[in-house]
Amino acid sequence: MSTGFVAETEFEKKRGVSRVEVRHGFAQVHVSRIPVNVMGERLKVLAAVAAVGISIDFLKLTPSGMSFVVPEPVADKLAGAIEPLGIHFSVRHDRSIVLVHAVSIRDEEGMIAGIVNTAITNGIRIDHVGDMHDRMLMVVQKEDGERLASLIAVTAAAREAQPETEASDAN
Amino acid sequence: MRIKVMKFGGTSVGKPESRLTSALRVISAKEQGYSPVVVVSAIGRKGAPYATDTLINVLREIDPTVEPDSRELDLLLACGEILSAVIFSHTLKTLGHSAQTFRGGQAGIRTDGVYGDARIVSINPSSIQRCLDEGKIPVVCGFQGVFAPVQGAPGGELTTLGRGGSDTTGAAIGAALKAEAVEIYTDVDGVKTADPDAVKEAPTLRKVTYDEVAEIAHLGAKVVHPRAAEIAMNYGIPLWVKNTFTDDEGTEIVGRERFPGRRVTGVTHTGKLVYLQFDLGCANDADRVMLESRIYQTMAKYGISLFMLNLSPSSTGFAVPRSQYPTVENVLDGLVIPVAGEEKRIYLIQIGQHASKEVETQASLLESFGEVKRVPAQLTEGCTMVSLVGHEYMQTPGLFLDVLTTMTNGQVTVLQTTDSDYSLSVLVPEADTNRAVKLLHDRFHLAEVR
Repeated sequence: MSTGFVAETEFEKKRGVSRVEVRHGFAQVHVSRIPVNVMGERLKVLAAVAAVGISIDFLKLTPSGMSFVVPEPVADKLAGAIEPLGIHFSVRHDRSIVLVHAVSIRDEEGMIAGIVNTAITNGIRIDHVGDMHDRMLMVVQKEDGERLASLIAVTAAAREAQPETEASDAN
Repeated sequence: MRIKVMKFGGTSVGKPESRLTSALRVISAKEQGYSPVVVVSAIGRKGAPYATDTLINVLREIDPTVEPDSRELDLLLACGEILSAVIFSHTLKTLGHSAQTFRGGQAGIRTDGVYGDARIVSINPSSIQRCLDEGKIPVVCGFQGVFAPVQGAPGGELTTLGRGGSDTTGAAIGAALKAEAVEIYTDVDGVKTADPDAVKEAPTLRKVTYDEVAEIAHLGAKVVHPRAAEIAMNYGIPLWVKNTFTDDEGTEIVGRERFPGRRVTGVTHTGKLVYLQFDLGCANDADRVMLESRIYQTMAKYGISLFMLNLSPSSTGFAVPRSQYPTVENVLDGLVIPVAGEEKRIYLIQIGQHASKEVETQASLLESFGEVKRVPAQLTEGCTMVSLVGHEYMQTPGLFLDVLTTMTNGQVTVLQTTDSDYSLSVLVPEADTNRAVKLLHDRFHLAEVR
């Protein structure tokens, strides 16, 4: 038999943004102006990067190339690997990754668009956006990282302060 | 008391014979010394007489143009699980086992006040515990709870838990009762390395981590909802996915400390996406920021879920679920974005190669006000996001090369890519979905994974 006393337990994380963090120390590489055989040339670049043991993140395809992110310390090594290919590329240094934690973020309809809009309307250039089941990731200039994090935190706190019935009306 | 929570999905309670099979599993657990707690979904899947979709249609059929009130809709939807639970309880009774049905509120499940997508705030499982103490089998309605709109108000407002609601109920009840295990019963053997429709030989994984299964679910596999996995992870409750209709041992979902993970766990896909790429080349820097802002502001306002989002100096793009595309088209095609100031520039978004009647009308009406610049959006209907899910392997040099080479050699066009700590995804034409899944499954030797 049980004791008869069963304590209440808190369960799910609240909807919305639970935490924002900033990671510094990245560089973004842009490969562009590939005139023909774009996918073939992209693969050549990726092969050259893999050959020197560099892991890339946040690959995005563009009509005439692609962009991706690497840790800042390997940026020079990476440039050295791509240069011999004769393919046009540039490296943007001092990039930061802003991570916005929100459980089941994709189920929160409009949340990703809202966060992107917060950045854009505040003059912050986003180089890349990605998401996981419990977080969203944005690559921005280092100087914008902390500012974006606090803007998102302030917006989330304002939303949190809304009465619950308003939130339910919105749904 | 060895408590085991057994959650049965729609196909496990949909027909008398499947219900009987499910009930016999509960009785078997009791005979093995467990105190089972049953959680049930509504009876049957889409199209079945008491399935969730059928109930929604009852209201929609009255007048499709009038949106049902979310509070009323929740009351209606909850009926599906109540009916299912009462029938399941009675089935147990006919088999000689005393059972008692609990609505979410009666089971002590309290939620926040968001109708249709409530989150569980707390559970007081004393009524379930009392039922167990009396030797009965509690049968709890999944997918629902209550909240008190006014402190101390009687009763409580019924809410439903949204996507993955019954799995979430199962995991939460398990955590509240400190259950030995939570078993999610369905009509597949467990978590597979790929959808068997795409890869017939896809094996069942014997162990996966909470993070992996959450990411797999996030990226399209209908196994366990991430919310259920998250609760089980936070409370250290072993979670199982099992087949009601076979004796397969199923998949155990555990913490990373118990299972370090594998190179690649599986390939998932989430389809029915529409991809839009906006060409912002016609705008200067200041205007581009304004255009992007209006596009994303509009998407946020209308609650659009964005996938594969990308931004570049001359364009921006994203995929949206096909179910939401009519809204997107409605609010973006023909959207007029005027630029404040003396220059009188007006931007007009045009989705697709050919301008709609609305866009042409807007353009001719606006001409007299200033220069009208069209912002063309390239439309690719029918896309699927195919994802490779794994642990640290995602950081391996050359992984993107490997995936893109595999797709290129297999003559699958990759429209876009995205990645995270646990996954790497490619957007491909819907017609190539199964081929893309199979290509990746073969390339990473997933048929040999267990």
